[in-house]
Amino acid sequence: MKASVLSEAEIAALDARGLIRLEKSIAEGFMGGVPWGSVAWALANTTVWFALWPLTLSGWLPLWAAFPIATVSIALSYLPSHEAQHRIIARPGEPLFWLNELIGHISTLSLVLPYDVARLTHYEHHKHANHPELDPDISTHAAGTLDFLRRSLANRQPSGAADRAYGETLQRLGTPEAGRAMLVAAVYRLSYFGILFGLAWSGHALEAALVWWLPRHLAATYIQYYLSWAPHHPAQEIGRYRDTRAFRSPLGNILTMGMQFHIIHHLYPRIPLMRTPAAYWALRPVLKARGCELGGL
Amino acid sequence: MQQILMGLFRIMPLLFGLGFLAPLLAQTLERLHWTAPFGLSPIVFGLLVGGLWGAFATIKGRWL
Repeated sequence: MKASVLSEAEIAALDARGLIRLEKSIAEGFMGGVPWGSVAWALANTTVWFALWPLTLSGWLPLWAAFPIATVSIALSYLPSHEAQHRIIARPGEPLFWLNELIGHISTLSLVLPYDVARLTHYEHHKHANHPELDPDISTHAAGTLDFLRRSLANRQPSGAADRAYGETLQRLGTPEAGRAMLVAAVYRLSYFGILFGLAWSGHALEAALVWWLPRHLAATYIQYYLSWAPHHPAQEIGRYRDTRAFRSPLGNILTMGMQFHIIHHLYPRIPLMRTPAAYWALRPVLKARGCELGGL
Repeated sequence: MQQILMGLFRIMPLLFGLGFLAPLLAQTLERLHWTAPFGLSPIVFGLLVGGLWGAFATIKGRWL
């Protein structure tokens, strides 16, 4: 059954079971297969960021050119890992599961975000989206863009809420896997600072600042804005059809990294990112019948 | 182990000030051909600013 063969009135007349059956049958058509685009994205983007080091340290690439490349690269680092977090590339036991895990681990190295920390806390975000105590990403929620920027800055202070929320989430999970993830997070953080300090004291502070430290902060702001704040704003409701929204951005789909359609991801996390726009348009009549916030999209 | 790590992260703003901001400030001054005030060398100026700023952030829990 396809939404397009039913009128809006017919869809609205379906009972809860009919609606969920229709919704699932449409969504299933967008799942499956390896999202090779995301795999290529991860490998190319990670290569670009690592290549910036020899290129800048050797003086071949000027820092004014490396800085924007590094910022864009780090901003693009999260989403392939996100595909891996949901085991979209391959599931445990499948032949390409190693590739899924490889993409998950390497993609966010520049972001200093360990894969298992991202994966475990992200699952909790899905389970508890917008919950004031249980959603690990709740600290990004804000009244508007300026308030988001103010909070984003506040969250990154030494006593800020962002890192603490992830640590508290892993502690609350209390599993051996969560414990290992906390240890890995500490190793990542110490390695990051150790590398920054080492580069700085060996005469490469500007390279460290403009290829990693500052781009990472700018990229994290962009990622948090479009991946966390915008799709959940105003972040006051809880529930499958109310905790995430569609929205229309003047920047369009690519510059918002596909997040205009993030509602599809929360409903069906195993639909690959690059198929969410098509899935959205196919599911839109159902979402409308469900009373979802579609933001004029 | 956990205590050591927690202690290290507690003073990380100070370490960041001395370990990163200080040489960053010094190398920025040198790159721009500026001189540090009071006849200080760039790295001493960097250590003073980075150290004090890092100490402030460690005590207050905020950089600004």
